[in-house]
Amino acid sequence: MAVALRKVEASATVDLKVEIGTASKIPLVLRNPVLVASGTFGYGTEYARLIDIQRLGAIVSKGITARPRRGNRGPRIVETPSGMLNAIGLQNIGIHKVIAKMAPFWAEWDVPVVVNIAGDTVDEFAYMAERLEGVPGVAGIELNVSCPNVWEGGRVIGEDAATTSAIVEAVRSRTGLPVLVKLSPQVADICGVARAAEDAGADAISLINTFVGMKIDTRTARPVLSNTTGGLSGPAIRPLAVWLVYLVSQAVAIPVIGMGGIATVEDAVEFIMAGATAIQVGTATFAEPRTALRIVENLPDALLSRACTRLADLVGRAHPTQHPSPIAMGEAR
Amino acid sequence: MKLFTATVVENETIMPATNVLSLRAPESARSAAPGQFLHIHCGESTAPLLRRPMSVYRTERDVIQLMIRDVGEGSAWLVRRQPGEELDCLGPLGHGFRLLPQARNLLMVGGGYGVAPLVGLAERALTRGASVTLAVGAATRAHVFPTDLLPPEIEYLVATDDGSAGHAGYVTDLVPDRLAWAEAVYACGPLAMMSALARIIRAEAPAKPTQVAMEERMGCAMGVCLGCVVETTRGPLRVCTEGPVFDIRNIVWREESAPLGGHRGRSAA
Repeated sequence: MAVALRKVEASATVDLKVEIGTASKIPLVLRNPVLVASGTFGYGTEYARLIDIQRLGAIVSKGITARPRRGNRGPRIVETPSGMLNAIGLQNIGIHKVIAKMAPFWAEWDVPVVVNIAGDTVDEFAYMAERLEGVPGVAGIELNVSCPNVWEGGRVIGEDAATTSAIVEAVRSRTGLPVLVKLSPQVADICGVARAAEDAGADAISLINTFVGMKIDTRTARPVLSNTTGGLSGPAIRPLAVWLVYLVSQAVAIPVIGMGGIATVEDAVEFIMAGATAIQVGTATFAEPRTALRIVENLPDALLSRACTRLADLVGRAHPTQHPSPIAMGEAR
Repeated sequence: MKLFTATVVENETIMPATNVLSLRAPESARSAAPGQFLHIHCGESTAPLLRRPMSVYRTERDVIQLMIRDVGEGSAWLVRRQPGEELDCLGPLGHGFRLLPQARNLLMVGGGYGVAPLVGLAERALTRGASVTLAVGAATRAHVFPTDLLPPEIEYLVATDDGSAGHAGYVTDLVPDRLAWAEAVYACGPLAMMSALARIIRAEAPAKPTQVAMEERMGCAMGVCLGCVVETTRGPLRVCTEGPVFDIRNIVWREESAPLGGHRGRSAA
């Protein structure tokens, strides 16, 4: 009881609010910086039966395509050391059914829902952005320019700055919603791609999508996944993700939303210190559906214990520009 | 279905590398149906990362029993749990087997530890006055589900790969002789066993109600990750949500579906 009371007090004195897309017609206002990542929370309705999803910062939907997709053959997932590989192949019900069947639920919720869209072409992205415009229940768009499972050999559409720029521009010109761009970590110059997205009008950069990997069944000498390769997620990729958030958040002025193996509030703090304005919980939800809610509950104390009363005080605390500073060197210890 | 903590009350080895774990979980024990499963967190760290789906073996008042074969990282941890320890569980999940009111004679076919949900199902069927034949297949005599754990009313047929007990060969070899008698068929076991059963049913009794519990690598068990899908005549369906139990006629068996160019090689299971 005492603990619960203290938490209420803490959250009353700590400002967790985040605004993304302040220049957009309708900014994305999050009560807290804890989102659940695309592909790990379905359409939101599934976990609603189990946990209080309304307390999340936002829900990012499963990746949606212009037409329904059946996805890849099984096996589609396999566990790896502190991680998992997935090659779902963007199985989804298609944008029309999402708007007709899912958005009406979202419109009733307090928690904002960001729709993750994945296109094979610039036109497909533009088409989906047009469809989503003005749909009640849709609070933002996350562009999946980085799904590793639907292009042969793991090639992704957003691997260069020019394509990313074209996609973002096409979407930007068709929507007043905040536009988040989710980048692949496996590009030659991720800061260049991120800057291209920013220059084309993106409101935030989501980092990172999965790394391409594979697992071989050593008894049969065959890949375990029917797709041969899959996207690696989970705590195994956390240091790689922290590094890229650290890099990109210093290269762009728009917010970076960090993700990659976040399972605890300390993991979230690490990403925020690396420069993330908000974070997404992904694979950890599979293991523990309450992960994101626990981070929401524990974040105020985590901030207070570092002498921060606003989330913004901690964002980028690990950046070299913040050292040496009396606050960073003293109270953070 | 919910998240709950269950206390281990007993852990008994019933066969080589196979334990029955009894958990005190009053609410789940009362609602769980044979064929449903619990998704259990294994270990104390991020390895193994994912929960493990464990089929419900039996329920008795406040206790839910799982039959666990020590085959990997998660199950190796589970079989070492001692009475008094607590397990972090999600469930009961999925759709279990359905007993049909009009079916009096039931044939159950289990392969390996796929026998687990069929034991609980057979016990329920007996209380409803049904007659049950349980046919199980195992590698050797040592791996055959112990006779003394089965109610005496159940007819028990055994097949072993090496012929050390019962019929020498596949458990599905025992099916054709019982098909005329059986009014419904229930199966759980390796994919190869169940696809063999599908061929027999299609050839000899295409109208026979037959339910199979499918297994696939599972992530969330909540229907969101779409990792555990099986191909069906209605498209890809999730083992965790639409399954694990399906009508055998709705499953598109892997070796029968059109090749898509991937590596489909499977050793005979």
